[in-house]
Amino acid sequence: MVFSYNWLKEYIKLPKPEKLAELLTMHAFEVEEIKKVGKPPHHNKSKRRGAKKTKSALVWCGGKDYILDIDVLPNRGPDCFSHIGIARECAAFTNSRLQIPKFKLKEDKNLKTRDFVAVEVKNKNDCLRYTARVIANVKVGPSLKWIQERLKVCGLRPINNIVDATNYVMLETGQPLHAFDLDKISNKKIIVRRAKNGEKIITLDNKRYNLDKDILVIADVKSPLAVAGIKGGKKAEIDKKTKTIVLESANFDSRVVRKGSKKLGLKTDASWRFEHGIDPSLTETGINKAAEIIQNIAKGKITSGLVDFYPKKVLPKKIKLDYRYLTKLLGLKIERKDVKQILKRLGFKIIKEEYPILIVEIPTFRLDISLPEDLIEEIGRIYGFQRIPAAFPIVSLIPPKINFEIFWEDITKNILKESGFTEVYNYSFIGEKEAEVFKGAVEIENPMSVEQKYLRPSLIPNLLKNVIDNFRYFNEIKIFELGKIFIKKQETRNKKQTEEKRMLSGLITGDAFYQAKGVVDSLLNKLGISNIWYDEYKPTPEQSKISIWQKERCAEIKVDGQEIGFLGEISPGIFKKTKVVIFDVDFEKLIKLCSEEHEYQPISQYPAAIRDLAVLVPLDVKVVDVLNKINVAGGALVRDVDLFDIYEGEGIVQGKKNLAFHIIYQAEDRTLKSKEIDKIHQKIIKILEENPEWEVRK
Amino acid sequence: MRKPLKIKTKGDKIDVTVPGEKLTVGHLHPLTLVKRKIEEIFQAMGFSVIEGPEVENEWYNFDALNIPKDHPARDMWDTFYLKNGLLLRTHTSPVQIRYMEKNNPPFRIIVPGRIFRHEATDASHETNFYQVEGLMVDKDVSVANFKAIIEEFLSRFFGKQVKSRLRPSFFPFTEPNFEVDMTCLVCKGKGCSTCSKTGWIELMGAGMVHPNVLKAGGINPHLFEKDGGWQGFAFGIGMDRLAMMKYKINDIRLFYSGDLRFLEQF
Repeated sequence: MVFSYNWLKEYIKLPKPEKLAELLTMHAFEVEEIKKVGKPPHHNKSKRRGAKKTKSALVWCGGKDYILDIDVLPNRGPDCFSHIGIARECAAFTNSRLQIPKFKLKEDKNLKTRDFVAVEVKNKNDCLRYTARVIANVKVGPSLKWIQERLKVCGLRPINNIVDATNYVMLETGQPLHAFDLDKISNKKIIVRRAKNGEKIITLDNKRYNLDKDILVIADVKSPLAVAGIKGGKKAEIDKKTKTIVLESANFDSRVVRKGSKKLGLKTDASWRFEHGIDPSLTETGINKAAEIIQNIAKGKITSGLVDFYPKKVLPKKIKLDYRYLTKLLGLKIERKDVKQILKRLGFKIIKEEYPILIVEIPTFRLDISLPEDLIEEIGRIYGFQRIPAAFPIVSLIPPKINFEIFWEDITKNILKESGFTEVYNYSFIGEKEAEVFKGAVEIENPMSVEQKYLRPSLIPNLLKNVIDNFRYFNEIKIFELGKIFIKKQETRNKKQTEEKRMLSGLITGDAFYQAKGVVDSLLNKLGISNIWYDEYKPTPEQSKISIWQKERCAEIKVDGQEIGFLGEISPGIFKKTKVVIFDVDFEKLIKLCSEEHEYQPISQYPAAIRDLAVLVPLDVKVVDVLNKINVAGGALVRDVDLFDIYEGEGIVQGKKNLAFHIIYQAEDRTLKSKEIDKIHQKIIKILEENPEWEVRK
Repeated sequence: MRKPLKIKTKGDKIDVTVPGEKLTVGHLHPLTLVKRKIEEIFQAMGFSVIEGPEVENEWYNFDALNIPKDHPARDMWDTFYLKNGLLLRTHTSPVQIRYMEKNNPPFRIIVPGRIFRHEATDASHETNFYQVEGLMVDKDVSVANFKAIIEEFLSRFFGKQVKSRLRPSFFPFTEPNFEVDMTCLVCKGKGCSTCSKTGWIELMGAGMVHPNVLKAGGINPHLFEKDGGWQGFAFGIGMDRLAMMKYKINDIRLFYSGDLRFLEQF
């Protein structure tokens, strides 16, 4: 919010703008910018200054001014969206005295306000206070130059001497006001009520709005005159022919104004202030100041009597502050006299003091103060948070609990990094195109773009995107991501649910199925998981239609009986750029199987012997079946069986493939004799050849 | 693709200036490295690391944190809503509420995690990014304690002696509130173009936990008369921001680009 340095100087002695900005930033609000404005003063001061020495001693300093763009904190709107409010803050941290000029109203005894206008407020919850004054025989024209300048410096457009006066008072005190042409108000009666569904209004800037019962309006007996707290209507507009005006200074409920402002899409300097809340005591100050300014500049007679609808008077709060709590919370002991001085400078009253308790009365303009902690913040910031020294806490030496989820995540990532993969972080979102292929995605109500319309139900679509983006620069890509996916869950009886779980997905470009399998094996082994096996993925015809995996080139990764993920080639129908192999593992399932337990296997002292064995089998025979037969036939003395070659084609019978194994024989308690090994080897060959189609190569 | 250089040594003499063979190594994401470092430093000070869900409901994300509906304070966070009425968390604070509900004080925790903001993206703003929040609740924890802990963390993280500066701020879930600045690493506090000549860099928000928030977590705030009562501090800092400062990265969007030319530098 923008403030004029010269205007602030009217109320209090101030340091130079740069120094003031520094102090404000350290004790109250951040000053975003300081800008110089205006022309240097002229020599002929008496003519140029245009100062009108009114009874309220409003003087325009003339010449150079500075604009301070102050980031008033949202909870300080009520007292600091005004020059007086900021001046009061400055008084607190510069320890100077605030000088608010007093005003004096001249009411005309012969004219009584209640003869001119009546006010009815339908619901006191919507409008906590409504005050009105009438000024008769005004002369509407342009404002004095100095008022126009002040408005312009603060970003407002001068309109006429009546409207400008109301805006001036809003910038000065924080209380928004509105002025109506009394002669345009039917039956001279103002009603504060909710709009009826279907009612309309044309505002001062000629825009039309449709109203409904959520919106508070100021109306006469016929139709709405203004949207309460937001914007005035054209019907009772002040124009150059206006003779009698009604000044409105009210306190509308912040929630009602906020709702109305959002509904109509209409935000104004007035609505902004009402939304943040205003002190009801301010309505009276505001209306009297405005009346005085109008009387001095537009002339006119102020009728006597203030129309004041104020059913529930707001009283100052009292808060009990314990000095010991102040010390404990800040971690610094502040002298009692300093504490009291700070509170007094801020406008708080000390009602009673009986150590360790201090009872403080809070002025009504501080809507943000209601707890002892609020007072402690006030004391701390004016005293200066810098003055609190850093000090380590004294606490019990309890070591932190190990977070096992993070523990296994870290190990997993390290293993993949060691295997040559690069970790990526992708967006949690996918677009419409991807959602058609990767089904079950949760939709976002207010997405930033079409490409971010859904939450990702899989990590795969974005990994594929990574390949497209990087393919220009890299031929071989090995990436992985460990992140959350989101799936639409069946909604049960109004219980809205989204399933959220971590997946671990990795991608290798090229003909890399067995390479990926090796990685998965290595990973699961290092995580202490055994009993891993790979089952051919056999989707149902329905699943096939939507499957992302290439037919007959995909496996389900299983541990014991449980499927924990998939490993396979992505169908070229889904991804054309290049062949890619992906492993996609449910990390939540994986974590439950991880174990740190590793048993040391004693190394046999006795030498191992290797015999090779090659067997010709039909093409559709699975390697695992041959391996199993060898292991079962060989028994305990077969320590390991290693497939080292698969060959089909030239030199091999059609329809068959050649599998070559190293069989490693070893005993734990003796050196195996050649004869023993031969015997077992022959047994294996015999078992393999039990199948007439299998032939062991000799 | 260029073939890797594989030269067999010939003869007795070896030309030691021939480049060594390139290894294929993998890389962890810079945010993973930063997250681990943060966890390491805080765990060394006795903080447990807690994580929680990314999809949340309004109560945990706003109401429990003293941010009521129809209040201008809600405007401080631009939120993604899901069609089913849930939302994507705008900070990791809801996890702190969940933790407080299930654990009694005293405790100290940090909560790292991905958060979401409905904002236009640019070099310093993204729709999803990472935050780490901290919460310490005990009998006597004060602003002075927060200062010491955060200075220790920052000094260890950046590997240089760092000082902190607290300024007034506003958050609905803490009172008193601060903006926390740290010494500018470029000029060591003397003033330069990076810190707009102030010597300080704006870093994070913090404050003493608001009694309403403690109550929402089922913890008794300070009741001095009965001498029961707990108090504590909370802070929130952007992990992407820390990573950008540490590695001198100038665009947050690089973290989510999947660009291997960027990722392979770590």
